[in-house]
Amino acid sequence: MDGSRIAFKGTLQQLLEKVETGEMIPKMQASHAPMCKFMTAFLVLNGIRHCVPLVHAPTGCALLMSEWARRSACCERRGVPLEPVPCTTFDESDVIYGGEGKLLEAVQEADKKYHPDLIVILSCCTAGIIGDDVEMIAQEAEKLVNSRVLAIKSEGFGGDFRSGYEDAFKLIMELMEPPKKKQEKTINILGARVGPTATEISEDLKEIERLLGEVGIKINAEIAGGCTVEEIRRAREVELNASWCYDWGQKLGDLMKDRFGMPYSRTGLPYGLKATEEWLLGVARPLGMEKEALEVIKRETKKVLPELDCLERTLKGKTVIVEPTTVFNGPIRGLAMARMVEEFGAHPIVINIHPYTIKERVPSIKYLLETGLNPEVILTKGVFRLGSYSEMWQTEEELEKVVQGYDNAIYFGSSDRYPPCPVVNLGLVSRFPRYGFKGIQNIARLVETALKDTSRPRSKLFKEMIYG
Amino acid sequence: MARPTEISSEVLKGEKCFDSYLRCALHGAALTVLGVENCGVISHAPQGCAYLVDSAFSWQEADWTKTETLCTKLCEDEIVHGGEELLARTILEAKELNIGALFVLSACGPEIVGDDIVAVCQDLEPQVPFKLIPIECAGYRGSQYDGIDIALDVMLKKLVKDSGKKVPKSVCLIVPHANANPTWMGDLAWVKQTLSQMGIQVVATLTHKTALSKFDNLSSAEASLLLSHDAGKNAADYLSSEFGVEQICREMPLPIGMSNTRRWLLELGERFDAQEVAEKLVAEGERMVAETLRRKGWGVSGESLEVRLLYRMPVAIIADATIGIPLVRFLFEELEMTPELICLRSSQPRAREILEREVGDLGLDPKIVYNADVHKVRRGLDEVRPEAVFGSNVERHAIEGLGIPLIFEVVNPMRQFRLVDREYFGYSGILNILELIQNDFNDRWRSKERRYKARW
Repeated sequence: MDGSRIAFKGTLQQLLEKVETGEMIPKMQASHAPMCKFMTAFLVLNGIRHCVPLVHAPTGCALLMSEWARRSACCERRGVPLEPVPCTTFDESDVIYGGEGKLLEAVQEADKKYHPDLIVILSCCTAGIIGDDVEMIAQEAEKLVNSRVLAIKSEGFGGDFRSGYEDAFKLIMELMEPPKKKQEKTINILGARVGPTATEISEDLKEIERLLGEVGIKINAEIAGGCTVEEIRRAREVELNASWCYDWGQKLGDLMKDRFGMPYSRTGLPYGLKATEEWLLGVARPLGMEKEALEVIKRETKKVLPELDCLERTLKGKTVIVEPTTVFNGPIRGLAMARMVEEFGAHPIVINIHPYTIKERVPSIKYLLETGLNPEVILTKGVFRLGSYSEMWQTEEELEKVVQGYDNAIYFGSSDRYPPCPVVNLGLVSRFPRYGFKGIQNIARLVETALKDTSRPRSKLFKEMIYG
Repeated sequence: MARPTEISSEVLKGEKCFDSYLRCALHGAALTVLGVENCGVISHAPQGCAYLVDSAFSWQEADWTKTETLCTKLCEDEIVHGGEELLARTILEAKELNIGALFVLSACGPEIVGDDIVAVCQDLEPQVPFKLIPIECAGYRGSQYDGIDIALDVMLKKLVKDSGKKVPKSVCLIVPHANANPTWMGDLAWVKQTLSQMGIQVVATLTHKTALSKFDNLSSAEASLLLSHDAGKNAADYLSSEFGVEQICREMPLPIGMSNTRRWLLELGERFDAQEVAEKLVAEGERMVAETLRRKGWGVSGESLEVRLLYRMPVAIIADATIGIPLVRFLFEELEMTPELICLRSSQPRAREILEREVGDLGLDPKIVYNADVHKVRRGLDEVRPEAVFGSNVERHAIEGLGIPLIFEVVNPMRQFRLVDREYFGYSGILNILELIQNDFNDRWRSKERRYKARW
């Protein structure tokens, strides 16, 4: 591929430096719009059972999340009952006169109508601009109702999508009570948003639960993956916090460590053997259960020896092109996947990880660099065009050309890309978990399938449908 | 005598905690502008609001390889210092797009801080190779139906000129997209086909796959047909007062079910001097429905839902007004059910008049709730305890624990995804609705297992 379509070629470290100096942030405002702070805060709080997220906003903000996160993802796909997502239906008169009085009444109404354990007021752009003091209202309201009442300033303009997650996890800490007893050999899993919200992969969480169970480690709460307010209250009684997704768990882990002195196991995502060992030992060692964990690792490793052999045989000496935007579910998983393929002797190249994404995930990227992961990164010019870059024919065409530059490439991403090489389809819903030992088996099968299918024709119909 | 539990505007204002079925005005405006072909859309908003525009995309069957939806992604800086400069820059970035018009939709934030999107567009119009159409549709201006009306108001005032002449036997179709049938395009197609059979020309559709050039001729329509009971009345009134476009079929339910379809077709036939064709359509349509049901063995064979199970079954209708109002007569007259609860998502005065006239004519006494929210619906269902609910996927989940055995998902959001449009209007529409009833009836035996129990 000639260099005219390449916007950046270097290492992850170099890309991070360019992002931090503002050099690689797209100037075009129209390109790449991820979720706003309100949406991501909602996704976290939605993971608490019997919590009413009271949206202090017009109906658009509330219904978007109610439809997508609650009814569709929770009720239809996850067996969770329909729970309310009320809002204060902010209107023109509230903009002029303020909405605090209305909000106070709304909290009382919500308590009466829904009998929740927790009401969280989420303020959106309108309320934020006119200066409604939602935190003060929450304090006042709590005196008048049966449930706990908290508030989060989650105006869409008030921060990037990461800040919503982080502030929501920080808010959850308000519910944590001083420990009444010690729960031995018990941990909290942080950073989850599974339960009522399908933003993460429950199979991965199940694999973690299975491995912890094998070692003899108990879980108090998965925060906030379908946990109860009661479980959050007891969160300080456990011996250790661990994150199931480093990207989202680390902030809460750090905060609980700083404020409550609770140890936190800082590890990456358990893709592949090495990362899985690190994850499990990272939890077991502080609990004094290293021996048990090593036994589990030995036993489980034995079960996946054929798959480990397969991964080494198929990946060694290959160039693996990882496209994080198409890796289910997100860029940090894409980077963790790059680390895994390196473990099996491949040379990873990460393609088109959006600089905006890097900017929003600086702490996680820095941590991954600390662990020694610093893959080659290529950004093509399609990333910087107007519109949705991942479904754009320009980025598809550029990917195809990049792949042509290698005679031993394997693509790790989604089958909605058509590079002229084996495609490891990480979008396949039936090959989960990807974490842990079961994940090794599943990833090995995906790689095997990709190699076997290389010569088979791809669907012209699907390609035409996606790229026109 | 009907006993509407009307939620008047005063009472609605009293409601402080509202679990809405409707999105905001920004979404409604997006639903409308995305029905214009060869256009682009910029939401002048923080990045989250872009999702409200994107979610309107498939509702209008927009094509992402042809239509770009862009966002100015406002941050704190623009809220403090204003975002006009950023909007201007974004519009200029969009110069490369090969489009006929760029709609600029403003969200809550920029409107509160006073960004003048109209002035920005006026300044930049000479510098871009397309029309710039600013629409001030902040979410707080109302529901998605209000947003549809706001967008139409701007589009009509900016794009429609007085052509000075009328096209004989012609209509314009208004807001086919304000209809909770998930494939409302099927309803639109049925209307167009029927009009064509009567020799009536459609001058323009507001909006669905509407070319910009269609707005030029809009005033030449003799009549307008409003295809929604939820929105679009203001547009019909404007066309009527400014260009003498007569409103027809305005005081009756839309054509769902035998009686409603007959009434609607016959009025059309009378207005356009096509009575013979209308009567033929009615006769053939009614015969086709009865014959099809008989030949398919619906309603009597043991393999399908038997009609005796429906007789005087107390039912609830939870829907938009567009589908909900005509369903009343259809369920009562043709399916012999008894509507005992009617919850409508909106509350247009004309729609209320039509509904209340209908229940009066039919001698029904249902509980009626306007501007329904999910809590009121659940409360209403708890009080009335019907045996079946005609509603959406929301009610499928909301009726849990109430012991209501049947839910028929007829309006959006629905669990069943459709690639092929299925109309509810007209005679084939009756078959489509009966098919839905049959399939959901079969579905009642699916597992309702839940991980834990809700408390409300």
